[in-house]
Amino acid sequence: MPPPKLPLKLLKWFCKPDYHLDIEGDLLELYDHRKKTLGDKKAKFLLIKDVLLLFRPGIVRSFTTSQKLNHIAMLRHNFILTFRSFKRYKTSFLINIIGLSTGLASALLIYLWINDELNVDKFHDKDGQIYQIMQNFDTPNGIVTRNYTPAHLAKALLKEIPEVEFATSTNTVYQSNWAKGIVSSEGIFMDAKGILADEDYFSVFSYNLIRGNKDLVLEDKNSIVISERLAKKLFKPTENIIGKTLEWKNENLRSIFQVSGIFENTPLNSTVQFDFIINYNVLLDNNSESRDWNSDHAYTYLVLKEGTDTERFNEKIAGFLGSKHPQREKCSLFVQQYSKRYLYGKYENGVPVGGRIMYVRLFFAIALFILLIACINFMNLSTAQASRKMKAIGIKKAIGINRGALIIQFLGESTLMAILSLAVALLIVVLLLPQFNIITEKHLHLNPDIPDTLSIVGIVLVTGIISGIYPAFYLSGFNPATVLKGKFGTAFNELLVRRVLVIFQLTLSAVFIVGFLVIYKQIELTQTKNLGYDQDNVITFQRQGEIDVNGFEVFLSELKNTPGVVNASTIAGNIMKQINLNAGYSWQGSTPEDGEIVFPSPEVNYNFIETLGIELKEGRSFSHEYSNEFSKLVINEAAAKMIGFKDPIGKYVKRNQREMQIIGVVKNFHYTSLHESIRPVFFRYGPNGRTVMVKIKNGAEETTIENLKEIYEKFHPNYPFEFTFLDEDYQMLYDSENKVSALSKYFAGLAILISCLGLFGLASFTTERRIKEIGIRKIMGSNAFDIVRLLTGNFTKTIIISIVISLPASYLLAKNWLDSFAYRIDLEWWYFAGAGILVLFIAWITVGLQTIKAARVNPVNCLKDE
Amino acid sequence: MRKFQIGEFEEIVLLTVGILHGNAYGVTIKDEIEGRLDREVSVGALQTTLRRLEKKGFLQSTHGESTKSRGGRPKLYFTITAYGKRAIEYTRQTRNELWKSLPQLVLNLD
Repeated sequence: MPPPKLPLKLLKWFCKPDYHLDIEGDLLELYDHRKKTLGDKKAKFLLIKDVLLLFRPGIVRSFTTSQKLNHIAMLRHNFILTFRSFKRYKTSFLINIIGLSTGLASALLIYLWINDELNVDKFHDKDGQIYQIMQNFDTPNGIVTRNYTPAHLAKALLKEIPEVEFATSTNTVYQSNWAKGIVSSEGIFMDAKGILADEDYFSVFSYNLIRGNKDLVLEDKNSIVISERLAKKLFKPTENIIGKTLEWKNENLRSIFQVSGIFENTPLNSTVQFDFIINYNVLLDNNSESRDWNSDHAYTYLVLKEGTDTERFNEKIAGFLGSKHPQREKCSLFVQQYSKRYLYGKYENGVPVGGRIMYVRLFFAIALFILLIACINFMNLSTAQASRKMKAIGIKKAIGINRGALIIQFLGESTLMAILSLAVALLIVVLLLPQFNIITEKHLHLNPDIPDTLSIVGIVLVTGIISGIYPAFYLSGFNPATVLKGKFGTAFNELLVRRVLVIFQLTLSAVFIVGFLVIYKQIELTQTKNLGYDQDNVITFQRQGEIDVNGFEVFLSELKNTPGVVNASTIAGNIMKQINLNAGYSWQGSTPEDGEIVFPSPEVNYNFIETLGIELKEGRSFSHEYSNEFSKLVINEAAAKMIGFKDPIGKYVKRNQREMQIIGVVKNFHYTSLHESIRPVFFRYGPNGRTVMVKIKNGAEETTIENLKEIYEKFHPNYPFEFTFLDEDYQMLYDSENKVSALSKYFAGLAILISCLGLFGLASFTTERRIKEIGIRKIMGSNAFDIVRLLTGNFTKTIIISIVISLPASYLLAKNWLDSFAYRIDLEWWYFAGAGILVLFIAWITVGLQTIKAARVNPVNCLKDE
Repeated sequence: MRKFQIGEFEEIVLLTVGILHGNAYGVTIKDEIEGRLDREVSVGALQTTLRRLEKKGFLQSTHGESTKSRGGRPKLYFTITAYGKRAIEYTRQTRNELWKSLPQLVLNLD
């Protein structure tokens, strides 16, 4: 039996080469001897043992290269080679640099955006411990999750639950009017927006106080903490502001406050932006409803003690509201980490299911894929052009270069390419950033700080390595003998790899195009869908200040008499953002559970339904001509269906024990975004809504608005006339979709551009390689058309395969995205066909340009040399 | 004065190479030590010691012939250099001197 090979191999690997031969000889001799005396097994065992025992310092070789290479000279050599090849093959250099730099530029832009998104609200020192209380309501369409809570909740939780370290409440958007108004001091008047907050506010959130003690600034009901910005505008000189007074007035109150502190302007990555804070008690004192446990007038934020198990904490507080007020038994509370709310702000069945994070992931994938497409260009071009480098590699190998050094050379080439592209990419980013900021509504900028620089360097190195790794291994693997003999056949494998890569690129491009089409169509649907009401030429504005009840009537009638005004009405709350929600409805045949369901039930004035052009299906709307409209209801079709009366007009519905008669049914209308399905709505009559909606005649907008402004200023001296168009408010509901649509257009374009660049490069290279063949074919009588067909045929197959692969992928993606809309477009076959044809067409043009040029070549020119 | 630094195992190896005079290579040295001193010698320990002694200049080596059982690998023969001889002489002398100085009493005590 021959001696076992493995231990000897091991010895060969670790032993000093000088010692190896005779030691191996000794071992073999010993083995031979032992085999005879001790038997095979024992001999084998002893051999292994001997080899293992030989693994000791005197015997083991040094594992650094035995010969010292001149690294700097090698590096310089590689540099020179790389630059020479750039200079010589300008087309592929240009293709690579354009592809990689646009790819890198989009990756960098997306990196900046994602980084910014991920850091929103993360700047608070106690970030990991700050939680917001969320509330789940049971409604007929499932659980609705909202972030508003009763005002007393914060203090009660702090007192009763030991895990709570700090708790603070702030006003909700519904009470934002309370914290919006005119600040004045020493004769300077300023519009300002602030918040109302509890004493603990600065202990929970880390908005830095420049002046004042964070535990004391909000102690007093007459204190106000202002931002640096506001302080600079209101006070001159800016020293010793603490203790100075300023007057603040809005529709709800007019009061003198004393400045108790100044905080640094709220950072841009804070979701809450404000210029001053006053004590929340101001709201509690002036609004009796806000003191009720059955009304939600606050956001509640907690700092939980370190190491608190949120699951168990949630169990503890789930029924907290029910224990405070019998009507809140169906409302359960839970906490969500404050900084997570920005990205995970969508809820289904009472649990967060994502939100903006979806777009963060989407764009991360897009950045990755665009970069990959650019990398593939580099791979394809450098492997396709292998024949150009063949001889050099063969000679180098024959002289004795090892494979590692070759791999390093090629990786160096691709990395150098990536670094050059980075320079171009940075230039592109600097140029495009202002535009990108407008689209994304961000304040992004390139920071030369360490983490950003490191990430960018990381991105570039990874790009360089990914694009270089395949060519490096492929090119360095040639057998020098065959290469130098001049035999160079392209291996089937290599063709296959290149083809797969092209298919990958084109598939991604097709998916991007379908994605863009679907987003565009869905956005178009939101613009053109009949919402059930007419939002054109409707402007909305807020009534400000103190108004006596009769003032509403007079103001409205004066508005209506203005030339150019079609109709005008008021509503409490805001139709797009915040319709009042109320529970406590019951009707014949309703269950006790129905009574706890929360319905949108806005209080509207006369003419509201007419102003918005909501279609009346049966009955009538609220009108002057009838008395006691307070006990009447107008419902929508969804509500009628839920109640289940056959002929609802004249029937009664109870609201908190009060009989209310249904006088009209309106057709369903989409008062919120198309993400949500239509819910039952009960319109109530209420003359004191502060949101005024005015329908203006088409074509007379400017003069009419001027007139309205005059009337407004007559009724509201000292308040600026600020209005919005209803259709613009509607657009705001699709803010993120609009941004994604705008961006996806550019990125889909980029993906196509970069893939086509690669295709162009490949096509030009293959035609160049076959130019002699083309010449001969032409001499033999081929016409230009045949040659074009011959050259494009292969590409066409590749393109079609990619289109076929892209179909299911893009279908699934599009369907997934559309599922977030309650009302969505149907996925029509032509989105996919269109995208496919577009890709095919663009790719054909790209390849065709090259092949037609080749087909028209004069055979003499390409055949005369050699 | 520490003229020559030789360890116990090194001394044994040096002496054995001397004993084998002209036929000292890995396997024979190993066998000789194992036979005479009744102790196990691993190839690793022996080889490192041999190489170390060579580096110190106590031994020199020459490639020799090969046999079939060695799979064609040459033998590496070791011989003691003049310097090496001086080294073992020196150790022997110092030992003897030490022995001489040892009082008889100590040896007779049980």
